[in-house]
Amino acid sequence: MRSSPSPSAFGFRPLAGLAPPQARALWALSFVLPLALWCVVSYVPFVWHPMLRISDPGDVAWLAPGELAARADVERENEAVRARGGQPAVGTRANPVFLPAPHEVARALVTSFTTPPFRADEPWLHQSLWHSITVIFWGFLLSSLVGVPLGILCGALPGMARLTEPFIEFFRYLPAPAFGALAVAVLGIEDAPKIAIIFVGTFFQLVLVIANTTRRIDPALLEAAQTLGARPRHLLLRVVVPGVVTELYTDMRVLLGWAWTYLIVAELIGVSSGITFFINQQAKYRAYDRVFASIIVIGLCGLGTDLALGWLGHQLFPWLKTARRGWFSQALALTRRVSGGARGGRGGGSDSDSDSGNSDGAPEAAAKANQARVA
Amino acid sequence: MDAPDALVLPDYREQAPAVADRFAKLHQRPVILDVHDLDKRFVTADGETVVALERVSFQAHRREFLCVIGPSGCGKSTLARLIAGLEPCSGGTVLLDGKPVDGPGSDRGMVFQAYTLFPWLTVLKNVMFGLEVSQGMSPSTAEQEARQWLELVGLTKFAASYPHELSGGMKQRVAIARALANRPRILLMDEPFGALDAQTRAQMQSYLLQIWRQVDITIVFITHDLDEAVYLADRVLVLDAHPGRVRELMEIAVPRPRHPHQFLTPTFVAARRHLEELIHPPVEVTTDRLPIRRMTVVDDDVE
Repeated sequence: MRSSPSPSAFGFRPLAGLAPPQARALWALSFVLPLALWCVVSYVPFVWHPMLRISDPGDVAWLAPGELAARADVERENEAVRARGGQPAVGTRANPVFLPAPHEVARALVTSFTTPPFRADEPWLHQSLWHSITVIFWGFLLSSLVGVPLGILCGALPGMARLTEPFIEFFRYLPAPAFGALAVAVLGIEDAPKIAIIFVGTFFQLVLVIANTTRRIDPALLEAAQTLGARPRHLLLRVVVPGVVTELYTDMRVLLGWAWTYLIVAELIGVSSGITFFINQQAKYRAYDRVFASIIVIGLCGLGTDLALGWLGHQLFPWLKTARRGWFSQALALTRRVSGGARGGRGGGSDSDSDSGNSDGAPEAAAKANQARVA
Repeated sequence: MDAPDALVLPDYREQAPAVADRFAKLHQRPVILDVHDLDKRFVTADGETVVALERVSFQAHRREFLCVIGPSGCGKSTLARLIAGLEPCSGGTVLLDGKPVDGPGSDRGMVFQAYTLFPWLTVLKNVMFGLEVSQGMSPSTAEQEARQWLELVGLTKFAASYPHELSGGMKQRVAIARALANRPRILLMDEPFGALDAQTRAQMQSYLLQIWRQVDITIVFITHDLDEAVYLADRVLVLDAHPGRVRELMEIAVPRPRHPHQFLTPTFVAARRHLEELIHPPVEVTTDRLPIRRMTVVDDDVE
């Protein structure tokens, strides 16, 4: 076993190990840093604050108390007022309305769920969100149901790849939103065309990504299976599919992120709906705190889904090398131990190099996304 | 030619009566594997034709332990892959029990140097794999059978472990059990212990000899380790490189049962030395002086 390098303080050395507590600290810091930047811009005066919230307009005729005016304009006006011997306008420095402070967004995050919408016929935030989630769910489900088997077949069977991939390669360059008008004409104005856009947006990428992943199966495993008497059917179902399923799972997590991107486009098609409609409405009311709140909710949904899927992956694929095992696979191991041979200890050893140690951290997912984009 | 204090060794062909008797019996056993005039040519990316194997012929008898040895590039791995049916041959025939080999099949088990256990299956399920796909056994029958094979390689305790939890030696023991479970006629082993450390390798060699004694199996064992070949084999097939041709099919006169203490017996050393000469023909060691100037201080000599 190659001894892993001693962990450097925070992993800022090429290929250095990272101790779990430090890894957790960095994880938290990756959220804290942007938040801190936002706080500085919002709360520390003189960092930006180009506006002035007027408390007393003085003798400046066009200002009213509570109004937000550009500081430069007010300064100029005050000069003129002072020259006339009048009273200048005063106020506190503020940021533009489109950059609410963190506490305002936090408040909006709560009130969006607790106070009714401005107009009775408008949906609540959670209703909009749920609507978006159903659209994504169906779009991505349909695209996966067709795309995953097709992708695996393309990856495993060169003939199949030759037959389908050139066209898919062509089609994936057609921007999904371009099919909006067509989708509405064919499928109406409700959810169907939106689901179709998500399908078109993800399906073609998905087939290619899955096919490429499938092609990365270790050929030695296929040869070993053949010497054990496996027929082509067995090779596909009992070697290729289980051999790449963990990688496919990671691919799907990345692609699910793309589905969210297409959602925003899809929801503008036909009758605008879902979270996009909600955000646009709030922008119309100049409720930018709610706009930010909604965007953050989308992010939280994505992050939450990804964390949940990551956790689920650990439960589904107990053969992955993982530092700690989930309770579910521990329970499985326990039943196995009870029903049969006891689980053995870890083989210490000079050679733990063979298994494709497959973690599914964010960096790998990001790398994969890059790779997919390049491909 | 020999250095003055070299050992005086017996002729490598000299066989004790018991050993000669064993070989006489071995030759009377039926031929399991008959390789005849086997050719293998590759066309490289540059369009050049490379001859990997040329007119390779040999036979292996039932329950023989045959080692294949040769310098790197002699095509010994290719030979194993051709017998396994993983690659088509360019000419000649491979007969197993008199029937020509056509593609991979469960009658020829194989153990690879790279660990090829299925990482998503437990040790037990790995051994059950062949029983289920090639013999069509029901999972419960296959499990019973597989447990017996795990017992044979001494890994019953690890039935529920996943491959990544095992050491390299254990993985290869499972691979052997997995291949043997299918009851193949021959077991092809392509440098199976090449990736193991010396101590584990010695242990694995001893395991393999024990298994071979207990099971009706003919073993074709590819290796580049001369000691390993002499220690394990009944006969050693020596290949030349570029192109890969049969140089000699040599009987190993070291008596059985083999034991590591035989490594220093005259018979063993004679056999090993003969192999050494076949594979690395003695060449004059060049004693040209290198054009290096002294780069250390004057009194700091090491020799």
